[in-house]
Amino acid sequence: MLASACAVSAFADTVEVVDSVGRVVQVQQPVRRIASTYGMGTYYVYALGAGDRLVAAWYVGLKSALQAPASFAVLEPRLGELLCSGDPNVEDLVARGADLVLADVAKTAAVALPLEELGVPTLVLGVETAQGVVDLTLLLGSVLGEAAAARAAALVADFYRVYGMASVAASETPTASRPRVLFLGADPLRVASGAMYQTGLIEAAGGVSVSADLAGSWNAVSLEQILVWNPDVIVIPSYGDYTAADLLSNPDWQSVHAVRLGRVAKMPRIFGTMDTPLPESLLGVVWLSALFYPERATFDAPAEATAFYSAYYGYSLTSAEAEGFLTP
Amino acid sequence: MSPRRGTLAFLYALPFVLLFAALLVGRYGGGPGDVLRALFSADGDGILRSVVLRVRLPRAIAALLVGANLAVAGAVLQGLFRNPLVDSRIHGVRSGAAFGAALAILVSGGALAVQTSAFAFALLAVVLVLCVGWRLGAAPLVLILIGIAVSALFDSSLGLVKYVADPLSKLPSITYWLLGGLGGASWSNLVPLLVLSPLGLGFLFLIRWRLNVLTLGDDEATSLGVRVRPLRAGAIAAAALLVAASVAQAGTIGWIGLVIPHVARSWAGPDHTRLVPASAALGGAVLVALDTTARTALASEIPLGILTGLLGVPAFLFLLGGYVRQKEGIR
Repeated sequence: MLASACAVSAFADTVEVVDSVGRVVQVQQPVRRIASTYGMGTYYVYALGAGDRLVAAWYVGLKSALQAPASFAVLEPRLGELLCSGDPNVEDLVARGADLVLADVAKTAAVALPLEELGVPTLVLGVETAQGVVDLTLLLGSVLGEAAAARAAALVADFYRVYGMASVAASETPTASRPRVLFLGADPLRVASGAMYQTGLIEAAGGVSVSADLAGSWNAVSLEQILVWNPDVIVIPSYGDYTAADLLSNPDWQSVHAVRLGRVAKMPRIFGTMDTPLPESLLGVVWLSALFYPERATFDAPAEATAFYSAYYGYSLTSAEAEGFLTP
Repeated sequence: MSPRRGTLAFLYALPFVLLFAALLVGRYGGGPGDVLRALFSADGDGILRSVVLRVRLPRAIAALLVGANLAVAGAVLQGLFRNPLVDSRIHGVRSGAAFGAALAILVSGGALAVQTSAFAFALLAVVLVLCVGWRLGAAPLVLILIGIAVSALFDSSLGLVKYVADPLSKLPSITYWLLGGLGGASWSNLVPLLVLSPLGLGFLFLIRWRLNVLTLGDDEATSLGVRVRPLRAGAIAAAALLVAASVAQAGTIGWIGLVIPHVARSWAGPDHTRLVPASAALGGAVLVALDTTARTALASEIPLGILTGLLGVPAFLFLLGGYVRQKEGIR
């Protein structure tokens, strides 16, 4: 969808871009006050160094400041003031003086069209693929000023570097010998379908998703079906309400190959989730690659994570946080 | 007309036959022969044996009990309220349980917490209905209206919980729970259902002949020496207990409580002495069959609530057609 989301032209005081649904939007420069009602887009704003310009923000995976990981307090001291949830209120966005609004593609009619009537530039955004992450990064870089554009270029270069290294490493292993991976959801009997971003991450990191044939979004499955797939590796997202130890100690799961091998791991989380189409997803590839091929050491996951958060979020990982990126 | 013994014997045997058949089929392993070998032969597939005993068996038992509970609750409530369109929704139990489960998912997400909260709020809903209804005379129509109000209260509260739930993790969990299913059934979480189902079913089985008297109307029942209000409240509470235990285990599963009693009535007659066990047998059998389909037809689970709806709606329309023809049209 985001293939069309690219800068069309830039003028001294206005940048004209095409958003995810093909709308041509003129954004007055410089952008000083951003309202991000698109929960994924918010993380891109921070990664491009424009977090201090936010006046309202929705954060995917975060509904309340009380749920926020401790690292959020460092990233955004104003979290309690900025954090919004539920349906955006157009009047409130206007009252906050936003001169650029990022809107979820699902909220086009409720948010983008009324704001358009009020003359507030609004980018309708949706990202579902790795290419979409790159496109959205460049799009936002082009409207948020020169420094943001430079950081967007660096982030995209990092993205290509990581994907390239992972691809080269994976190519050394024939497809039939690659680890067969099951990506679980918020609860252990829900799995990622083939169309989901998580499946793309698994493939980019050199794994084979056992549930790739499933359609739609998260699919509920039985434990028996998981035994039929019998994955070599099980991945739990950071937002799962259970741990790897829960599965490893559950007697019902003891026949699953990954459990017998002890190859069950839960993704760490600092700010955004690594399995969703966020800048962090490049760390998702790093972490999964290290998990799938521990003997190769293609990536030093803690070092990559430390460099990433320092470069794009200005955040220094503690040693404990960095060690959290070590895979079992 | 008294039902034939053969028909009833078939009906009572059906759930157990289907339960055994359910153990023989599934996504994992070979056919029934492999399952029998795994169960009874020392050189059988150990993993298949584990699948049958740890995955299929608790799940099939859960389906049997949930189906029986919902069907018996529906049959009893239809008789008590003298209304063929009544099911467990009427006393707010399902809405209360749905809210309780969603709230627990929002706050913690643990399976035990979800089950406990669903059960507690289901009982709270029926206690509200009974307390307010008791003060207003406990007439059937009054109880139905209060049940609608209590259901609406919990439905709105459920909407609020869904609105504030995190769309990445909590909201999908709530949505899946509301669709109903037995994918999470295991020996570790089956105990409440195993304990509460015999209690509720046993109580309603023991008072089944008194339920016949209640269907005659309050004045007639009183004149026959039945204490109408306590009996009605007790029966409603027992039905609520069954529904609460079932919903807490399996989520919201519709149509079983509405349609199965009608089918059972057409086979066993309106006499509750036969209708209660017949509904239990048929409800259990149908849900075992549907759950087996839900877990074997596709790689992903088909939510039970969807299957019961797909089967229940045509069955209901078929039964309604027969009723209309029998009454020469409803105007």
